[in-house]
Amino acid sequence: MANFLKLVWNEQVKLFNRKSSWVMIGFILVLVIVNGVMTQFFGSDEQETVYSDNWREELVAENEKILANTNEEDMNYYLDQEQLAKNTFYLEEDQKPIPYDALTFTYESYMLLLLITIFTIIVASSIVANEFKWGTIKLLLIRPIQRSKILFAKYVSVFLFSGILMVVLLVFSFLVGAVLFGVNGLSGDILLTKPMGGYEIASAWAATFKEYGLNLVALVVMATLAFMISVLFRSSAMAIGLSIFLLMAGNGLVLFLSKYAWVKFILFANLNLGQYFNGGTPTIEGMTLAFSVTVLVAYFVVFIVAAFWSFTKRDIA
Amino acid sequence: MKEQLAVMELVNLKKTIRKKEIIKGISFQIQRGEVFGFLGPNGAGKTTTIRMMVGLMGITDGDVLIEGKSIRNEFKQAVRHVGAIVENPEMYPFLSGWKNLQQYARMMEGITEERIREVVALVGLEKAIHEKAGRYSLGMRQRLGIAQALLHNPSILILDEPTNGLDPSGIREIRLYLRKLAEEENVAVIVSSHLLSEIELMCDRIGIIKNGKLIAIEQVKKTTVEDEALIVQLEAEPVNGALQIVKSHILGDVVVEGNLLTFSTNRDALPAIIKALAMKDVAVYGLHHQRATLEDKFFDLIGENVIG
Repeated sequence: MANFLKLVWNEQVKLFNRKSSWVMIGFILVLVIVNGVMTQFFGSDEQETVYSDNWREELVAENEKILANTNEEDMNYYLDQEQLAKNTFYLEEDQKPIPYDALTFTYESYMLLLLITIFTIIVASSIVANEFKWGTIKLLLIRPIQRSKILFAKYVSVFLFSGILMVVLLVFSFLVGAVLFGVNGLSGDILLTKPMGGYEIASAWAATFKEYGLNLVALVVMATLAFMISVLFRSSAMAIGLSIFLLMAGNGLVLFLSKYAWVKFILFANLNLGQYFNGGTPTIEGMTLAFSVTVLVAYFVVFIVAAFWSFTKRDIA
Repeated sequence: MKEQLAVMELVNLKKTIRKKEIIKGISFQIQRGEVFGFLGPNGAGKTTTIRMMVGLMGITDGDVLIEGKSIRNEFKQAVRHVGAIVENPEMYPFLSGWKNLQQYARMMEGITEERIREVVALVGLEKAIHEKAGRYSLGMRQRLGIAQALLHNPSILILDEPTNGLDPSGIREIRLYLRKLAEEENVAVIVSSHLLSEIELMCDRIGIIKNGKLIAIEQVKKTTVEDEALIVQLEAEPVNGALQIVKSHILGDVVVEGNLLTFSTNRDALPAIIKALAMKDVAVYGLHHQRATLEDKFFDLIGENVIG
């Protein structure tokens, strides 16, 4: 075990001594700031309104003001309509409006997880392939350690790195959110927009971790796919290209093939487990959460077995 | 006393790649404190054999035993005793020499920081050890490679083409260094090369490989033996007088080019020839000789045309 941790430590040393890893972290920081500034700049004025104890009257007054403006050409028309829907929701639920604050901004950071998924795919594609590129694989595999253990340490290191990126994203989002939107406590409820329309109120951290968890499924499966391709072909270019292409085009592919019954067995039809939550409907009728999880596990096992078999059995030329 | 076990033993080692037999049954043993040269033209199978020795390539048939442990079945116990550089000394270019060594130190039990410092001093890299390995010259990388291979006190050191790309002073340095390791630390060393001249001086024995077969193992003679055949070049005037005297002392042919006579003779015949030349007032301007046995044998065995 101590041995294994040292291998993982070795991999982290290699990762964090390279510029590309720091560029990834920098990219996340910049995008969080840009996201924050844009949210503040383009958010509706009402978003920043602080409501008093008379919030019911204030909301009714605001709604009347919005309804009075029927000019669709107005820049703020659609933002106002959204505000109207929110206000109505608050009134119906008899809930004092929840201000947009650091917690809400942190919750919304899950949208940047796509970026972390891409970065994880890049790291997963190169962590083995680079050793071949540098020629260091020949020094790595003549140590008294089984190849499978070295590969597993690399696999774990990919997700350790990915986890560090996610912590950076969460913490930095909260900090930027705190500076730009203020903090109303470290926990509490936030207003969520449901995918099929409408609103709901949920605990901020529970909602955040749910989104992170759901996105983690695609992240792990796609990174494992990339890891397998790079182990099989010993080159990162193909692994990165193919995995990111499939990540982006996967849904389109499923739609394109949706008339066939077997489409539900395609990896990408099952990647978004969010389709079973938040009152969504599955991509293909009749699919269930259990079905998708089974399909995902099956793919995952195939990827892992192929990668480990290839890495432990093949010659290093 | 117990018979000392060979450090490494190749037992009828074979490798077949895509139904083509690349290595066709190689067997030899290497003893403690011995420098063994592995010589052959490019493509003869040196690197493939070395890769099988260290477990980078699977073995089709036969086995490699290191300290009596099979690299096939007891990989961890066998490879523990091996330090190696396979092909070029490739390092992580973005890490310092020190951090490169730390990587390998973490992969084996019991390598202390003290030991890392020791091997760095041993290969003389103290000054540059905290610079990035990407900025090292080839000679420095080669030394870092050797440091890496020695970290865990291996009983056998395997170096694939260690002099490749080095300048003459670098080659000399490696040679002296490997001899010291073999003599003082009792480490067995295997060096491969396609150039006889580069490894002849550092090896005790040379195994010659051609087309995947070990065709000869030659002992390299360290001291000149009395009856050893020498190739002698003699610069003298008058040439005809010299030619007569030389011919009367030797059996073979004499090649004449200007003032230069080239002939082959035994070492102990030389003083008599020189004495006779002086007696007959032949002016001798120079006399050079070289041992040519190994090189001749090498060319005989391999054939000049296949040296790559």
